[in-house]
Amino acid sequence: MTTHPSAAEPSPLAASQEGTAPSPPSAAAGQLESFVYDDKISRFFMVAMYVWAIVAFLVGLLAAIELPFPSVNGGIEYITFGRIRPLHTNAAIFAFAGNAVFAAVYYSTQRLCKARMWSDALSWLHFWGWQLIIVSAALTLPFGITQGKEYAELEWPIDIAIALVWAGFFGVNFFMTLVKRRERHMYVALWFYIATIVTVAILHIFNNIWVPVMSGTLIKSYPIYAGVQDAMMQWWYGHNAVAFFLTTPFLGLMYYFLPKAAERPVFSYRLSILHFWSLVFIYIWAGPHHLHYTALPQWASTLGMLFSLMLWMPSWGGMINGLLTLRGAWHKVTTDPVLKFFVVGITFYGMSTFEGPLLSIKAVNSLSHYTDWTIGHVHAGALGWNGFMGFGMMYWLAPRLFQAPLHSVKQASLHFYLATLGILVYVVSMYIAGIYQGLMWRGIDENGALAYPDFVETTRNIIPFYWFRVVGGLLYIAGALVGGWNLFMTWKARPAKYDEPVHRAPALKDVPLHEEVRPKSEMVGVLEFAKKYDVWSTMWWHRVWERMPVKFTVLVIVAVVVASLFELIPTFVIRSNVPTIATVKPYTPLELLGRDIYVAEGCYNCHSQMIRPMVAETKRYGEYSKPGEFVYDHPFQWGSRRIGPDLAREGGKQSDSWHVLHFEEPNVWSPGSIMPPYPFLMDKKADFKSIPARVNAIKLLHPGDENFDGYPTGDEAVAHAEAQALAIAENVKTQLEVEPGVEGHYINPDGEVIDLSDKQAVALIAYLQRLGTDLFATPAEEEGTVPATETPATAGSDGDDTTSNAAALLGQAQGGR
Amino acid sequence: MSDLNLTPNPKPTPEVADELIDGHNYDGIQEYDNPIPGWWTWLFVASIVFTPIYIVWFHAPGMERDVLGQYDRAYAANLEQQFGELGDLEPNAATIMRYIDDDKWLAVGKSTFKTNCVSCHGDGGIGNSGPNLTDDHYKNVQTVEDIATVIANGAAGGAMPAWGNRLHPNAVVLTASYIASLRGTNAPGGKPAEGETIPPWTVE
Repeated sequence: MTTHPSAAEPSPLAASQEGTAPSPPSAAAGQLESFVYDDKISRFFMVAMYVWAIVAFLVGLLAAIELPFPSVNGGIEYITFGRIRPLHTNAAIFAFAGNAVFAAVYYSTQRLCKARMWSDALSWLHFWGWQLIIVSAALTLPFGITQGKEYAELEWPIDIAIALVWAGFFGVNFFMTLVKRRERHMYVALWFYIATIVTVAILHIFNNIWVPVMSGTLIKSYPIYAGVQDAMMQWWYGHNAVAFFLTTPFLGLMYYFLPKAAERPVFSYRLSILHFWSLVFIYIWAGPHHLHYTALPQWASTLGMLFSLMLWMPSWGGMINGLLTLRGAWHKVTTDPVLKFFVVGITFYGMSTFEGPLLSIKAVNSLSHYTDWTIGHVHAGALGWNGFMGFGMMYWLAPRLFQAPLHSVKQASLHFYLATLGILVYVVSMYIAGIYQGLMWRGIDENGALAYPDFVETTRNIIPFYWFRVVGGLLYIAGALVGGWNLFMTWKARPAKYDEPVHRAPALKDVPLHEEVRPKSEMVGVLEFAKKYDVWSTMWWHRVWERMPVKFTVLVIVAVVVASLFELIPTFVIRSNVPTIATVKPYTPLELLGRDIYVAEGCYNCHSQMIRPMVAETKRYGEYSKPGEFVYDHPFQWGSRRIGPDLAREGGKQSDSWHVLHFEEPNVWSPGSIMPPYPFLMDKKADFKSIPARVNAIKLLHPGDENFDGYPTGDEAVAHAEAQALAIAENVKTQLEVEPGVEGHYINPDGEVIDLSDKQAVALIAYLQRLGTDLFATPAEEEGTVPATETPATAGSDGDDTTSNAAALLGQAQGGR
Repeated sequence: MSDLNLTPNPKPTPEVADELIDGHNYDGIQEYDNPIPGWWTWLFVASIVFTPIYIVWFHAPGMERDVLGQYDRAYAANLEQQFGELGDLEPNAATIMRYIDDDKWLAVGKSTFKTNCVSCHGDGGIGNSGPNLTDDHYKNVQTVEDIATVIANGAAGGAMPAWGNRLHPNAVVLTASYIASLRGTNAPGGKPAEGETIPPWTVE
């Protein structure tokens, strides 16, 4: 009903045809600038994407095999599931998807801006800096150097490097290229890149504010947030890493490479605008849906769910625009592997972004959370959407970047079919495993008791699906290897010297600007408001923004930050969100050390610490978790998957000696358990020397907290920890009925006599025995709170004469030991 | 406009009357001015409209429809289902023995046992790191009510943890009944006997 305004600008496009032949410019004759696109950087990023893809997939395969076959790790601590699962996720997200994004951004931004990247130096600093970050991830995560927050595991020095490389090298280079562009308006792909770059920087920086542990031998930090607030920050980050690292840049990729490959115009410009802005604004709110039924305040959980539902259409806007762009080109899909990958990729995007809102509905989430359904969901996204879009782009780019025909279209099709079959087998097996296990967990029999009371039983039943998952993964990897061969052979056929065509276009300043004209509504006989809406809906105003990169970026930042602050500020400032529990006290120095071992071993990858208020759950694990129980948890360890049982109330459930036996041979002491053996915990010395540095860092995070009055520091903290460790070791000795004359506390299956008192196992046991017990502790007497390392205090709870004395020194009564 | 001289110019299919937008041409990529599909708009609007309705409904004060409200009701209902007709059970010999042949209530004890006890006492009480409960030997039990005492307070220097503050008192009693019922079943593959042989269960 409106006449679309013509941004009647003399087209500078005519001057910059593909190829080298200068066309007669329609304006600004004689002021043409010459430039050459930097394709070398895109080549490097593309190859890096492929190399890291294979690495990420292989590590994922190992992790997948370790679940049904735990001893496959051969007892090597560096490749236990808890340590390599973060390596797998980081490699898949930041190395594989990251390099794919960079290849796409560097290739398309230059062409959409008609400008070479602003600085070659920054391009290469970005490339090598990023690869170095990936290598440093591979050199830290298997060694247990981790922050213990999913997808934000990398420790503080690497965090700084990421911020520098992302914002300082990549961001600056990208935005300066926008500033120096020769194309008046920014295409939709660039909007998505802008949103990606600024938002990822914001997310990364604010989720990674920490206090480093100041010790010469440690790379370790504690986040300044604890418990509920740390969880909120983490999933604000985690969810939006999915949004702004795995979604928006891939939508940008789609908007460039799909119309290119299909040789079709984009379906709807107006839909691009609407779904871009709604996506950017709404995504940010949805993070709390990862924390349904947890100790997170309920209002936040509700917002998370509702904004996830609102996110459905904005997400599908991208899918519609992608699939409908193929109208008139569907016949090409049957022959062109690029389009095949894109079609399936976009379809997976549509499916995942339907499934996401579905899983965010509280009732659905109560079933799906902590199960493999989530794992199926993320792989539909990562392998189906990111993987297929990355591969599709690769098949389009390889002949152009290597300037040689694709080695084999048939092999590309083979890759496509293997990958499609692989992802389907993978996802379906995870859906079945997830729903099956979720139903078993919640099953209540006719007597009102748990139908599957033994946790191991629920694990055993899904083992076959773990093997199907392995098969799916193998197929996907086989496809990727075929693709790798194709890429390699295409590269081998490259010319001796790459052709570097020179393009010409006038600088923007030399092209007269024709202001956009507000169109007039042709509606008659309607209210003024309707006319205004009619004019607004032509989106003519957006055309103005598209030629103002700075304003555009500021608006994106405003959208993202406003939404974030609405959720985050109340979480931090409203005290009633986290009601204080008087009996919840700081961890003792040894427990703190043990907690850090728990984090380092990546226990959170399999064990949650969050009992949800559901009958089946409180029957299985005990009283549901309260927000006030986590105020000393830096970082929070609520977890997202229960491959093993929840540990929120583990304290006192098992004896100290059981833990030792169980670490040594989980499958023996808990038949059917798929936990890998941890014999090295009884072998490796606990780092007592580092305790004062850890204590200082934690104390720094709780200024004015009277629970820290008199808390031991320095040598006193070490002595305190040693006393508690010795008590636990002696406890183990007594419980295992080791002869008093034996010089040690534990005889391992090889017959070695082990002095446990200085081993990692006792620190970890100290922590585990503390978990969830404070809630039931008897409030300490006035004097009881003063730590007195020299006087063994008596245990707090009734009939609890066996509690290790040292554990009670800080006045923390240990419930039920 | 000069857009049409760009590479490679798509031929619009005849059945689609899409309108290209003038001046929208980026490295050869053009855009149509197609309207946003109606169903998209209306589903989006519906998801927005749903928001305040849900908030008011779910969080309405005093209605207990929220997560904790739901839990409290479900928990009370389960408790009523499980223990409503039992009342509060005393952990004495008579009570424990009363349920030893009652399959319905023994099943509740068995479920509790499987959740919390099998990690040491093995499935069916065959023993693992903890003693076998299917023979006639006991380490810390002389009478049947000692079973409930040991469950509640723990034993053996903490090797047997205390469950008194974790389990409902009735669950302690029914679990004791279940354990008492295991005696003498001498499950195959059980751990060798530990402790003393004790007299048969009696009700004083």
